[in-house]
Amino acid sequence: MPSSNPLPPKENALFKRILKCYEHKQYKNGLKFAKQILSNPKFTEHGETLAMKGLTLNCLGRKEEAYEYVRRGLRNDLKSHVCWHVYGLLQRSDKKYDEAIKCYRNALKWEKDNIQILRDLSLLQIQMRDLEGYRDTRYQLLMLRPTQRASWIGYAMSFHLLEDYKNAISICETFLNQQQVNTPNNFDYEQSELLLYQNMVIRESGDLKEALKHLENNQNQIVDKLTLKETLGELHLNLKQYIKAAKCYEDLIVRNPENTNYFKKLIIAKQITKSEDIVKFYKEYSEKYPRAMPPKRQPLTYASGEQFKTLVDQYMRKAFSKGVPPLFVDLRSLYGDKSKVEIIEELCLGYVESLKVRGKYSESTNNGPKEPASALLWVYYYLAQHYDYLELTEKALSYEDAAIEHTPTLIELYVTKGRIHKHAGDPQEAYKWLDEAQQLDTADRYINSKCSKYMLRANRVKEAEDTCSKFTREGISPMDNLNEMQCMWFQTECALAYQRLGKYGEALKKCHEVDRHFSEIIEDQFDFHTYCLRKMTLRSYVGLLRLEDVLRGHPFYFKSAKCAIEVYLHLFDEPLKDERTEQELNTGKRYYFLYFVMVMAIKGN
Amino acid sequence: MNIRCARPEDLMNMQHCNLLCLPENYQMKYYFYHGLSWPQLSYVAEDEKGNIVGYVLAKMEEDTEELKHGHITSLAVKRSHRRLGLAQKLMDQASEAMVECFDAKYVSLHVRKSNRAALNLYKNSLKFETVEIEPKYYADGEDAYSMRRDLSEFSKKVTVESEHSDNIQ
Repeated sequence: MPSSNPLPPKENALFKRILKCYEHKQYKNGLKFAKQILSNPKFTEHGETLAMKGLTLNCLGRKEEAYEYVRRGLRNDLKSHVCWHVYGLLQRSDKKYDEAIKCYRNALKWEKDNIQILRDLSLLQIQMRDLEGYRDTRYQLLMLRPTQRASWIGYAMSFHLLEDYKNAISICETFLNQQQVNTPNNFDYEQSELLLYQNMVIRESGDLKEALKHLENNQNQIVDKLTLKETLGELHLNLKQYIKAAKCYEDLIVRNPENTNYFKKLIIAKQITKSEDIVKFYKEYSEKYPRAMPPKRQPLTYASGEQFKTLVDQYMRKAFSKGVPPLFVDLRSLYGDKSKVEIIEELCLGYVESLKVRGKYSESTNNGPKEPASALLWVYYYLAQHYDYLELTEKALSYEDAAIEHTPTLIELYVTKGRIHKHAGDPQEAYKWLDEAQQLDTADRYINSKCSKYMLRANRVKEAEDTCSKFTREGISPMDNLNEMQCMWFQTECALAYQRLGKYGEALKKCHEVDRHFSEIIEDQFDFHTYCLRKMTLRSYVGLLRLEDVLRGHPFYFKSAKCAIEVYLHLFDEPLKDERTEQELNTGKRYYFLYFVMVMAIKGN
Repeated sequence: MNIRCARPEDLMNMQHCNLLCLPENYQMKYYFYHGLSWPQLSYVAEDEKGNIVGYVLAKMEEDTEELKHGHITSLAVKRSHRRLGLAQKLMDQASEAMVECFDAKYVSLHVRKSNRAALNLYKNSLKFETVEIEPKYYADGEDAYSMRRDLSEFSKKVTVESEHSDNIQ
């Protein structure tokens, strides 16, 4: 410690206690010990003590004093790594990361091998994506602590992030080789994760053959069998080893027959290309897995003409008899094909006629029991959505009303009726029906959320807030609670409502809240830089870093940024004049710079 | 509909689904904590456009002296996608992963006393058993049933599957 003003043993012991108190968050005690040193006339200006006092004050929320003390401490002892480190920590807590990095670098000038400072520096570097800097710091950490696992992993990862795969792989390799080979433990999760991470790096390097070899050699040590098999399947497929790939996907389907992707990959592996063969393929699987959805639903995408008619007929009858409300959302993706839409419509209209007359889907189904009375209801409900999709509002409403007459207690019907009005461009009428639905089931938050969204679409902000309040925490305003819980859909819809109402200040406030959530979510990474190296969940960690890099590309951000930009452009074109609006504009001005930030962010994405 | 293991980029959309459907909400960091601690345990159900229509957010209880076990932090399926059996399928996938990756012996969860639909799913379809009632567990003062499901059936399944795959190598 090259402090220019070393303390004698008694004061030095007190100083160490300040450090300990800081670590253990006993800030009040820390201040007491600081006072004991500083009240000694010989040490009133002791730099490191002043700095630590400042840092402790910062933790107690006394920011201004904190800066004062830390800066005074630093001025008194510019060669102390403690003072610089403390100044860095203070800036970091204020999210002034660039400044903090400069401070850490100054600290390291006076104490280049200080592990703690190097670690803190590396965290800021990865947070700021200074990847070269991160690599260099990780190198120093590895040299200083070569026996620690995290040193090796961090160093390897720094190369991975720089896309220097060769070095990343070889560092992993070196580390794994020098580890003692334990007796194979069934649940060595961390080893398993490390191997899967190494495999990820090899795959990203483009050497798929090597990746496959690596995975096959290590598969006994991998506990995450799902990832193992998915990766094997993918590699075999990309290497055109179709028989092996098919085996992988067959195993995966045994495990999870609800994964549509496995079926699609299996079809590629089996080199099935003709539509009718694909339909045949799914038929086999629907017999093997009678409870699974994809083998029944997927053929509808591939079949056409008469075959489609037969299949969709079976599919819909089953759903109407059982009562599957999401049938329409399930089939909606078929509506890109006009001929399929016609077939569905024809079948459903036929069901209605026949169910009304004889309680069955068609004349030809003479034998067997009648369908449940609810079947007709579900057909009505389907047709309402069907015509709504085709923008035939009158027809849609007539089927919706028929359904409501049939079963006035089914909440879904009111939701759909509202949606039809919404699609027809009448948000006022739409919200009334959602309000009706909400009153029929006040315990369901989904209905509550939808209702409140429709209220916002109808520019009824106060009602929307009141509706939400049924599910927000008591003792705090609903708006505040929704903000605390990062409820971005609400805040965005709210902003749009204010925009339509011409309350531009309020609109910008909501947009700004959404923007803050995104800043917060970027901030959230911080703790995981250390945590994941310890936990070994490196693949997910890299996934997180990559997600955060494009976070503001999320549709939530786009929507609220677009709203903010429109408001700012409007205010620029038509500046507000009178006093009341002047005030609003002033609120707006504060966010003016944000407009540019958002434009840049959108361009960047 | 497609059911698959959740990835980091799903977590924000899971939060959105949770905020729409349930009264118990969490900040993003808590989702990150799940996804980055036990990446194998959370699952999503998505529609053809890739929108999340249901999810299960799960974790391991690691610092207990009890048997190793998993815990369901949150499970939701949008009301617009009910009656497809998604909740059960999501739970089964998460449970199997708990056994396979973390050697879990059982999985636990809490459910509101008034939530009949969920209770029915846990009790009758998923074979959960009520262990105790936790008074005033929820922020609004409602009691919770603390429930458990034994996972030994999955550990058998995992053994069978891995033997099965050993044969083909």
